[in-house]
Amino acid sequence: MRYLLRHTTHYQYSGAVTLSHNEARILPRVLPWQDCSNTQLVITPIPDRMRERIDFFGNRVVYFSIESLHESLDVTVTSEIVTHPRASADIFSSISWEQAAEELRHDPRQTNRDALDARLYVLDSPFIFQSPGLADYARSSFTPGRNLVDAVLELNQRIFSEFTYDPEFTTLATPLQDVLASKRGVCQDFAHLGIGCLRSLGLAARYVSGYMETLPPPGQQKLLGADATHAWLAVFVPGWGWLELDPTNGCVPDERYIILGWGRDFADVTPLKGVMTGGGDHSLSVAVDVLPQEEGAQGQVRDLV
Amino acid sequence: MQHLANLDPAVNAILGDYPGHDGHDELLSDNQQPRAHWQGVLDDIVQLGPDVLAARSEEAQNLLHENGVTFNPYEDDPGQLRSWQLDCVPWVIPTQEWDVLEAGLKQRSRLLEHILDDLYGARRIISEGLLPPELIYTHPGFLFSAADDPPQVERPLLIFHGTDIIRDSLGQWQVLADWTQSPGGAGYALENRITLARALPSLYRDAPIKRLAGFLQAQHRCLASLASTHREQPNIVLLSPGPGSPGYFEHAWLANYMNFSLVEGDDLVVRDGQVSMRTLGGLKQVDVILRQINDPWCDPLELRPDSLLGVPGLLQAARCGNVHIANALGAGILEHPGLLAFLPSLCRELLGEELLLPCRETLWCGDPAALAQVRAELDGWVLRDISKPGRLYRADQMGLEALRDLRISMERHPYLFTAQRHIAPAVAPGFNPQTKTFERQSATLRFFSLVEPDDLTKPVNERNYRVMPGGLAWVGEPGAPLMKSRLVKDVWVTAPVPQPHISLLRQALGPIVVTRDGKDLPCRVAESLFWMGRYGERLDIRGRLLREALARLLQDDRQESGSQLMPDLLRALDIAVDPEAFADESLPANSRFPREYIVTRDRLLQLFADDLPDGLPAIFAHFVRNSRAVRDHLGDDTWRAINSLRQHFNSMSRTRGVVVGQRHLEAMVLDLAAFFGLCNETMPHHYGWRFLDIGRFIERTLGSLELLKLALLDADEPGIPLWEVVLATTDNLTVYRRRYRSQLHPLAILDLLLFDETNPRSVGYMLKRLGRQIAKLPSPGSSPYRNLEQRLIIQATSCLHLVDIETLTDLEGSPAAREALSNLLDQLIEPMSELSNALSHSHFSHVEAPRQLVSMHYTGQP
Repeated sequence: MRYLLRHTTHYQYSGAVTLSHNEARILPRVLPWQDCSNTQLVITPIPDRMRERIDFFGNRVVYFSIESLHESLDVTVTSEIVTHPRASADIFSSISWEQAAEELRHDPRQTNRDALDARLYVLDSPFIFQSPGLADYARSSFTPGRNLVDAVLELNQRIFSEFTYDPEFTTLATPLQDVLASKRGVCQDFAHLGIGCLRSLGLAARYVSGYMETLPPPGQQKLLGADATHAWLAVFVPGWGWLELDPTNGCVPDERYIILGWGRDFADVTPLKGVMTGGGDHSLSVAVDVLPQEEGAQGQVRDLV
Repeated sequence: MQHLANLDPAVNAILGDYPGHDGHDELLSDNQQPRAHWQGVLDDIVQLGPDVLAARSEEAQNLLHENGVTFNPYEDDPGQLRSWQLDCVPWVIPTQEWDVLEAGLKQRSRLLEHILDDLYGARRIISEGLLPPELIYTHPGFLFSAADDPPQVERPLLIFHGTDIIRDSLGQWQVLADWTQSPGGAGYALENRITLARALPSLYRDAPIKRLAGFLQAQHRCLASLASTHREQPNIVLLSPGPGSPGYFEHAWLANYMNFSLVEGDDLVVRDGQVSMRTLGGLKQVDVILRQINDPWCDPLELRPDSLLGVPGLLQAARCGNVHIANALGAGILEHPGLLAFLPSLCRELLGEELLLPCRETLWCGDPAALAQVRAELDGWVLRDISKPGRLYRADQMGLEALRDLRISMERHPYLFTAQRHIAPAVAPGFNPQTKTFERQSATLRFFSLVEPDDLTKPVNERNYRVMPGGLAWVGEPGAPLMKSRLVKDVWVTAPVPQPHISLLRQALGPIVVTRDGKDLPCRVAESLFWMGRYGERLDIRGRLLREALARLLQDDRQESGSQLMPDLLRALDIAVDPEAFADESLPANSRFPREYIVTRDRLLQLFADDLPDGLPAIFAHFVRNSRAVRDHLGDDTWRAINSLRQHFNSMSRTRGVVVGQRHLEAMVLDLAAFFGLCNETMPHHYGWRFLDIGRFIERTLGSLELLKLALLDADEPGIPLWEVVLATTDNLTVYRRRYRSQLHPLAILDLLLFDETNPRSVGYMLKRLGRQIAKLPSPGSSPYRNLEQRLIIQATSCLHLVDIETLTDLEGSPAAREALSNLLDQLIEPMSELSNALSHSHFSHVEAPRQLVSMHYTGQP
């Protein structure tokens, strides 16, 4: 699939900011199934300093600072993205989930690099802590000896069907226990929840941030800015690799999903964070467009760029 | 007492009950003879004799106390003051033994640097299975943000390294822990050495011991050559968490000794990719940061977002090589106790060498075999949980419930736990000044190593380290933290021949550029000096008033002349007395102490109480807090005056009697005079001193004006007794008597205290002095006009100069004269009150706490 991506973040401050240091993780990763071209990052006011680097997780990070008085901040990224089918389409793994957990356990003789790397994602992270409650929730899908992929897909489906998408309910700080108890949340909570369940069973799971193409209601034109940032997760299947899951939509991500980056949880891939001096209160608005590059959409695309 | 054969009876006397220990003994060999390297020390000690030694020991204690040497985080609270005891008997290490230790310590530093270099670089030791990922990635000292791929600048990460070592009962050295963020104690080691050398010159001066000063010189050279700009005078700062942190004494000490600016997070700002210090003259670029803040707190942008100690953007500045941080951010991972279990294999793998210094037996519970072993014999181990730093778990000392919780935690997160074997320590001698004999001690030793200054630019496998030939020892159970110790020791490394005495004052390192304190004074320091001046003066004014009030109280009592003066004095001290209290029948009264006397006395003495917001201890606490924040700007003698004050305040809150109270106040007034006198005599008369002086004189002007207002206008009982108090409070009674030799007259008092510019206690003099000081402050812009501060001074001075003195002559008789004086005083008070704010606005940094764009409240472990 071919997309034009545009993601704008706008901060309006009630007072003047004298100095701000920021980190943005909003440049999409280049992956075997994902090409990015003509990626542009426009920041207003123009940053005094800007540096890009690759972080621990392989994500693209842009540091920038704005050192003169400003009352708003505008960060816009545009990119042309081509996605190809992921390998997950033909996944076949006969490994049981207990075997998978065993592979990830500490063993001084273990030298498989992928398994060693994956072990980071079994551990607790800033937002996600293993707990018996999470393990209990997962266990009805993870019956003894069950095939890992089957169990994981069922868990994904269960979160999708048993939980209600409710943007009013959660904040960044909602603990997983509350999400589990109320069965409500947003994509980020469901991704965290899925990860927490898998890690509580000794499996490795990571947080993926990105976008997804949404379709307008039948017969209507797609509205600009109607898309949103999205979050899902990936689980490590030993001997095969990372299998993505989207519990918010109960599916396995395909070509319609664009990946920004991944980490242990949201804290590692926060799209935009910063520390500023001054500024008072601030209001935030975000607009995301994931526009399929088809003949009919060309006009729109030109308007956007 | 167990006497040893073949020993001098004098030696036996001082050994006391010491001999007779089974395990390894530092002093006595297996056949209970003093070891060769102790012979010289013992001879000197015997020659001094136990009484002299006890006296000298006490002297060393006083020196330490006066210099304010302390680890104590609660120093501001006079009740909590405690500094440690310094044993006058050192821990002695002979040359041959030192050579072995030194080689082991150097290797250890090299090994840790290799590990660090790899963990924040290729991470080969993890991907090849040498170190389990769970060990590293669960430790808060591993900074994911510092683990960029690939690292952009090749540089040493581990500049200093502290190693805690103990000698076990078999005589084997065992490493207990490594300190790799900002190893503390080198400054204390030097301070101990200096103190003991002063108290026991005969023991120290000619002893063949290796000297320490050279190591700190090398440290300075090392930091200076880290600066990438290679400027002649790189700007090196010591970044401290502030006066509230336990190691603050050492931070100030090191900054002073090394001639670095002592800064806190607020003093630094990252602009244009550079780290700069906010100074009176604007921003000044920083080249090297010697940081004393732990890893996660250094940068709220990339590390802990809730840190108020750090500098936003610091990590990015370091990443680009625009500032060098010693030790590098992320070095804290090496403090992981579980790492000890892996060092032997890592040493073989990374250095191709066998590990020379054995570590304390350590098991990392993330390894299932280790976990099984620890669980099976839980009592035999001391456990640590890296998510709860500083806590030790000893199964044999835990209750059932706590033990169950511990087992559950270990089951759930085994990789967070490290088990270390108990150690039976060797004994070493210490001198007990009470019994005047030796006693057995076990101590932990800390040694310090430093990357060779010449090796900074070499690749990691060619970098070498040097070790300070001496260290710090503290008495306690093996592994007990230094901060909790009460008794410390000097560590001697003997040299084959007596060593030349090196002055502890640093010699010029290369061509010296003559510098003078100037505009690079951090704004925060200027502000603290200003407030130190104000609070110090406030303490003086209130102390003097209270002293007068107590004196009148005693007089009244004796003469039974009633206490007409008291209500006015109480008002001057802002003490409200409910008249009904005098009628309170429940109070004991007798002919000697009328009820009124008791009530008044108790109210006055309340100013000594700790909990009163404007009591003397509260003002003193403000004064000390500001003094501590500028510790590196105050001379040793000046600091001694503060410590002397502090000792008075320690016992002040318990004051119950008027005479005792008077004595405290006498001492306080003298110490304050000594303090300000020393400031004037020893501080360079530059910006810092000017701010101190301005603070003092603003406070004094306001104090004098309020006092005049009360005595001449608002008093219930105006008249000679009250005027006398005013003169006594301002210490002008003698001057007045000499000048007028007559009855007190209000106009003469006014002349002396308002107009006479030759009298340092007059408002006229004070305004003149303030005007002079303010004119010499740096002015940020180059405006040709007078700034607000200068205008305020001119405003006050003009009012004073323009007043028609004739209108004030008949203060007692004419309401018009009283009104004229009232107007004048108000016209003086107003601009002086405003002056403080104006100064603060122009010169002090008003750093708003930086805030997060997205507030990320980590939920924390449920």
